[in-house]
Amino acid sequence: MKDFRANYFKKGQVKIQQMAFVLVAIMIFFAIVALFYITIRSGSLRQDVETIRDEEAKELVRMASSWPELSWKDCSACVDMDKTLILKESENYEDFWDVPFLQIERIYPVPEKGECTRQNYPDCSTITLIKEEGFIARTSFVALCRYDEGIKCELGKIHLGFRSAE
Amino acid sequence: MNRKGFEFSFAWLFAILVGAVVIFLAIYATTSLIGSGRYETDTKIAAQLESILSPVGTNLEDSKFVRIGFPDETRIYNRCSSIGIFGSQLISTSVRSGIGKEWLPPGGEIESKDKYVFSKSVLQGEEAYVFVKSFEMPYDVADIITIYSGEYCFINPGDEIEEEVMDLRLPGINISESLEKCKPESIKVCFSSFDRDCDKKVSQTDVDGLYYEEGLVYAAIFSDAEVYECQVRRLIKRTSELAEIYAKKSEFLAGKGCSSNLAGDLGRYSSLLGEFENSGDLRVVKSNSEEIEDKNERLSCELF
Repeated sequence: MKDFRANYFKKGQVKIQQMAFVLVAIMIFFAIVALFYITIRSGSLRQDVETIRDEEAKELVRMASSWPELSWKDCSACVDMDKTLILKESENYEDFWDVPFLQIERIYPVPEKGECTRQNYPDCSTITLIKEEGFIARTSFVALCRYDEGIKCELGKIHLGFRSAE
Repeated sequence: MNRKGFEFSFAWLFAILVGAVVIFLAIYATTSLIGSGRYETDTKIAAQLESILSPVGTNLEDSKFVRIGFPDETRIYNRCSSIGIFGSQLISTSVRSGIGKEWLPPGGEIESKDKYVFSKSVLQGEEAYVFVKSFEMPYDVADIITIYSGEYCFINPGDEIEEEVMDLRLPGINISESLEKCKPESIKVCFSSFDRDCDKKVSQTDVDGLYYEEGLVYAAIFSDAEVYECQVRRLIKRTSELAEIYAKKSEFLAGKGCSSNLAGDLGRYSSLLGEFENSGDLRVVKSNSEEIEDKNERLSCELF
């Protein structure tokens, strides 16, 4: 005599197992779709962050010579080198501008190479106000002015960096 | 006897339970994604707004105007903190949505230490008007960025303000000779005679108790008291730091044979600024700055 109860129980078990497998497969499928979506979204977000930072850096470097801490009186595209050298020594300004790199470089007349200090100024080429790791720099040409037996202005550049989103 | 009936087996029960869990998870994930998407958009708009505010600064001009349009009605949240050496400016935004709640809390705050935005704590509109003026005390300190939206009616503002509003074609500001000629829904700003229907009263020294000097009059008109006082404190902190830099520059130039003897005055000026509490102290600061300006103008190597 056949045991019908036992057969019925086995058939049900198989059905439950099938259903469980299907549900697990659906869950895995959704998880993969979600992961794919999140990867694409975070990639585009990183790109957006990079674009916004780059645009801001381009605008900032164009405007930097008019910042009160750097500017030469009555000239929006001139940097006061005397003031900038003093600013370099100020600890209060270390995190004032939220940029990882800010440097003033003399380019003409061709100066002696080296970072400016009170000892070698003005026979030097760069004043670095901020320098951190991991940045992309943008540059703008400016006039660099100082008192040296009268007002003396030379050609220079401002380098301003923005943090890479990587 | 009819023994037919619906057999509610374990398989059915299991399927319904798991199905409910799957649907719940799907709905939860979707709403979370929409929420985080809106947070991301709001933060991105705040970052873009911050980025737009960078190039609007003044160079050689006295004032400047920029119109900013948003894709939809937007709330700009302006928070200010005067804690620290320079204090900080925190901007966040929230865009109105047609899905779910109309307004969500704002996205991430964008912080900056070198900007001074004067506005209401929460500004709402599809357009915002940015008016920039330089703040000099006596040297160039920063740009006063005033953001406003909506309609204002200036009643007899005086020649200087009227000329500035006309020259820059500031939108949303109508100049009127009397209170009756103002649009009823506009914010009425009275300058000479004060009526009880005036929303803001501008005297020679203050706007409803907010004291102003040097281009701060618009900031006082368009800002909330809390934002105004905080931003003024921040401006004065930067003025104080700049005074110390100019004092050191004076000593530095003296070493190069270009003596100015202004280091002592600038040092005292910086100390005075360190005691600044609120806009009521601006008058004292202004008179001290005028003295330093006079002395600087007489120098052969001007400091600023």
